[in-house]
Amino acid sequence: MTARSSAKSKAMIQDNTRCIGCRACMVACKSWNDRPADHTDFFAGPGYQNPRDLDANNYTLITFNEIVTGARPDWVFGRQLCMHCEQPACASACPTTALRKTELGPVVFDKNRCIGCRACMQACPFLIPKYDYENRAPLIHKCTFCADRIEAGLKPACATVCPTSAISFGDRDDMIAEAKRRIATAPGTYIPHIYGLDEVGGTSVLHLSSVPFEQIGYVTGLPNTPMPDLTHRWLRVTPHFFALLYAVFAALTWITHRRSHKQVDGDQGKTA
Amino acid sequence: MNWRIRLTRWDFALLAVTAVGVGLAVVRYAAGIGSVANINNAYPWGWWVGYGIMTMIALGGVGFTITGLVEVLGVHRYHSLLRPAVLMGLLCYSGAIVMLMVELGRPWMVWMILVSWAPTAALYEVGWCAFLYLNVLLFEFAMVPLEQLGWGRLVRVMRVVYMPLMLLGVTLSHLHQSSLGTLMTLIPHKVNVLWWSDLLPLLFLFSAIMVGPALAILEYLCAARWLGFEPRMDMIASLARIEAWLVGLFLIFQLGDLVARGAVDAMLSGTWFALSFWAEIGFGLALPLVLLMMPEVRQSRRALAVACGLVIAGVLLHRLNVTVIGLRVRHWETYVPSLGEIGITIGITAGAMFVFGVLARILPIHEELASTPVSERRAAAPAGALRGAPGVS
Repeated sequence: MTARSSAKSKAMIQDNTRCIGCRACMVACKSWNDRPADHTDFFAGPGYQNPRDLDANNYTLITFNEIVTGARPDWVFGRQLCMHCEQPACASACPTTALRKTELGPVVFDKNRCIGCRACMQACPFLIPKYDYENRAPLIHKCTFCADRIEAGLKPACATVCPTSAISFGDRDDMIAEAKRRIATAPGTYIPHIYGLDEVGGTSVLHLSSVPFEQIGYVTGLPNTPMPDLTHRWLRVTPHFFALLYAVFAALTWITHRRSHKQVDGDQGKTA
Repeated sequence: MNWRIRLTRWDFALLAVTAVGVGLAVVRYAAGIGSVANINNAYPWGWWVGYGIMTMIALGGVGFTITGLVEVLGVHRYHSLLRPAVLMGLLCYSGAIVMLMVELGRPWMVWMILVSWAPTAALYEVGWCAFLYLNVLLFEFAMVPLEQLGWGRLVRVMRVVYMPLMLLGVTLSHLHQSSLGTLMTLIPHKVNVLWWSDLLPLLFLFSAIMVGPALAILEYLCAARWLGFEPRMDMIASLARIEAWLVGLFLIFQLGDLVARGAVDAMLSGTWFALSFWAEIGFGLALPLVLLMMPEVRQSRRALAVACGLVIAGVLLHRLNVTVIGLRVRHWETYVPSLGEIGITIGITAGAMFVFGVLARILPIHEELASTPVSERRAAAPAGALRGAPGVS
């Protein structure tokens, strides 16, 4: 189900320090993925952000976070999109392999295999997959990393339109080196943390920030080990358990039935 | 086989509730899940999964616990509980399947699990095991009506493969009951520390084993009352003693696991989570444990039924806590089940109870009915029940 990062594996840097909150990425994303426009609502939350969270029509979102930096409150932007984990929890949880990690990096969704159990939504540590509950034949919706564009040698739509180079795209190894270089050359601008380098065993989207990630709405406190390990520990012993338990129960049955031979003869006349 | 049973007002009440559920399900199919349910992007699994799947499958565990007790461990004293247990298991699993057909977004694609290879997915394992076990339950139960219908030769053939299939059923149950817990081990970041544990698979397996005898006792006492036979209190009291042990051991297991994980602080915090936890431990484990340890309770039909009902409610609350109540996603996100969601699950439950009630009257499910002389049966019993079950030895 998962492909370990190969030489060709792509990644994207989301450099939040360069983001100006223009939301061109959100528009380009909607355009490429053919998502309808939403009615804009202001909610009792942070400033001009819209919508509040990702949903079936919004695969990426610029979050507006009011944070006191220096002497005055300021907007610090963050971005939500699928992280395209190296070993995705969503794909590991899918009972029909409708989600899978491709060689190039994207975690892609095959709508023809989906049964709608929503285990991927429950499993995702980054709370990314969303559902269109109003639909009679609903589907999982999430960022595709523009897998079709990447395969054709293009950049993802969001990376194409960003006017301030806050979104960079390239081979994952190069992107990691680039992110490290930016932090090293401007230690005052960045906090020394590449979000996605180690989180849940590494992801194909790497975030940089000027403030700690929990302040801009990112899920923090995640382990550096792949999430599927948590269930794999149990599931990989299942076949052995099956054989062992069956043998133990068969042996027990044999022993108890031998012990009460007479009784069993009578009981077997009765069915379960 | 006795087809001439008379439906009582209870039957019609259950049918009416089922009809409401069917009506709500029609709305769900016509206008989408969102039209009847409050499940949302933050809480993709709600009451439907917590009650309709997780708890229903746990209750269906009565089938393999009683089968294991009687057939594997050879405690033939409880033989008369076997057929009701298998039928309840069959109906609980069938109910869970019906729930799944409502709960899945694309139920017409559910066969895809059976043609996929997804060994990393707990749900894949649950799906396969539950599917196979449902067939085993059908096989086990089918022998009763087939014998009554005069298909004796077929039943004799079935008896040859009964033992290996019965063992398969007990084994499969252990696997998927624990895998329901494995499902939740994937999300330590969402489930509150009070409930998320490395050992969730074992906790879920244990709670399914614990709830089995409780449901069997409760069913037996209800059947005695409504079908009108004299319950064998010595037999049922001894099973209640076993149940007390199971509840006590599960209490130690759950609390010990919490202490070992260092979650005592969360237990003593004044949060809603802690309240729900103490409700689960207090009313679902500690109180029934105390009750079941009292000989007077074990000899009293009503008190014993209450104690077993508390155990069942405790398992329901445990499953809800692990899958719904104990989950925290975004601080602004909430989930409270809608009346539509609850209505469909009550409809499914009522439908299963109706089918059980009818089958318990037309088929020889309860051995006691055949052995209780007509004159000693309760006047309240439906006329049909009085003609009993000639096939039971």
